Amino acid sequence: MNSESHALTIDNLHKSFGDLEVLNGTCMCADKGDVISILGSSGSGKSTLLRCINLLEIPQQGDVYINDELIKMKGEGSKRKAADQRQVERIRSRLSMVFQSFNLWTHMTVLENIMEGPVQVLNVQKDDAKERAMAYLEKVGLADKYACYPSQLSGGQMQRVAIARALAMEPDILLFDEPTSALDPELVNEVLQVIELLAAEGRTMLIVTHEMEFARQVSSEIIFLNEGVIEISGSPEEVFNNKSSEKFSNFFAQGRTTQ
Amino acid sequence: MNLQIVMEYTPEILAGVVVTMKLVVVTMVLGLLLAVPLALCRNAKSKWLSIPAYAYIYFFRGTPLLVQLFIIYYGFSQFESIRQSFLWTFLSESYWCSILAFTLNTAAYTAEILRGAIKSVPQGQIEAALSVGMSPIKLYTRIISPQAALIALPGYCNESVLMMKGTSLASTVALLEITGITRNLIAETFMPLELFFLAGVIYMIISTIMIGGFKLLEASLSRFRVEI
Repeated sequence: MNSESHALTIDNLHKSFGDLEVLNGTCMCADKGDVISILGSSGSGKSTLLRCINLLEIPQQGDVYINDELIKMKGEGSKRKAADQRQVERIRSRLSMVFQSFNLWTHMTVLENIMEGPVQVLNVQKDDAKERAMAYLEKVGLADKYACYPSQLSGGQMQRVAIARALAMEPDILLFDEPTSALDPELVNEVLQVIELLAAEGRTMLIVTHEMEFARQVSSEIIFLNEGVIEISGSPEEVFNNKSSEKFSNFFAQGRTTQ
Repeated sequence: MNLQIVMEYTPEILAGVVVTMKLVVVTMVLGLLLAVPLALCRNAKSKWLSIPAYAYIYFFRGTPLLVQLFIIYYGFSQFESIRQSFLWTFLSESYWCSILAFTLNTAAYTAEILRGAIKSVPQGQIEAALSVGMSPIKLYTRIISPQAALIALPGYCNESVLMMKGTSLASTVALLEITGITRNLIAETFMPLELFFLAGVIYMIISTIMIGGFKLLEASLSRFRVEI
């Protein structure tokens, strides 16, 4: 890899589940402030790629660098694992993930959910964490819900709380794993608006999504994954006007008809 | 049925209630303390932890409690080395033999309940914790334990009530708890119907109180299960 400084570098990532090869030598970089949308049909490896970055999945081969720091691995193939648990925990605390199914901790209130990471992992004082949590709740427009439990919120509200929880870690990179796929259509927009706001603030983000129009608007770069390799990448204009890839044209056309 | 007999002997049987309650409380505390590491070992990836834990559970679930109690009470005393050791101060007493048997037995069942509860905490809850960089210890104490405890509670309540009733077996090693005292009284009075009936009612009252306690605990732990 080149010696330039990147927020994220992924080098030659391979991941398979049994016989099914999901990532097949994927490479990419992200710089500070980049908003990269990852598109691709189901099973193309988008989510797996994202989950390999914070080691929720262990790639069988290949390296991930966060702020040019290599995540150290040991072992081979299916026995491969992180070499340094402390390093993994530290790096994970610099990356925040927003999940498709929100994954708010059900036994905690909204406020407790947002304070949990800063207090337990970053050792922020409780008062400071609370102040920080309320500020981010305000940002996602849910300050009045701070005392609710997740079961009392709608899907869109839960996802906005999950975004506030991710922001409260003040991460270097935000990872969005299909943040609107589990939402009712009328709730998608409130979540997309929050993500747009974050993009405008210059935050570094990777977004796995099926929302083509949204991706075109917010992204600085778009990646189209097909069978575990990056088929096309570039600025939204380049990718959406690219007619050379039949796969992407098909995918794009299908996206159109279903929307 | 002679109700007067029942009234007359109630105070004597109540003395046995204290012994039974002592057995239950000590066994529940020790059993839970033993069950937690057992459940964690049972769930561990390492075979060196999971197989011994499984073997332990397999043995205590597969053999009758009465047999386990007899092995401890009658069996251990055959070993000269045990009779010479400090353990004998405990193992020569039917009270401690009963505690030991009930604890080892309930720990096996409770470990299985906890193991299942830990396994049924949704993967997404765990991934959310991992993704913010929680250590395994924080993950267990902050996220998994509170959720697993609630899942385990109904099964654990059931096991505790079964164990409470199981303490009546201590009467077979000459411990004077509810059943032991009742049997002695029957030997004096030849009134098995009345006195066993009285003992049964007392067991039923204790189990009702226990179930009520678990219900309260469950309600207070599940505050978050509110709907709009």
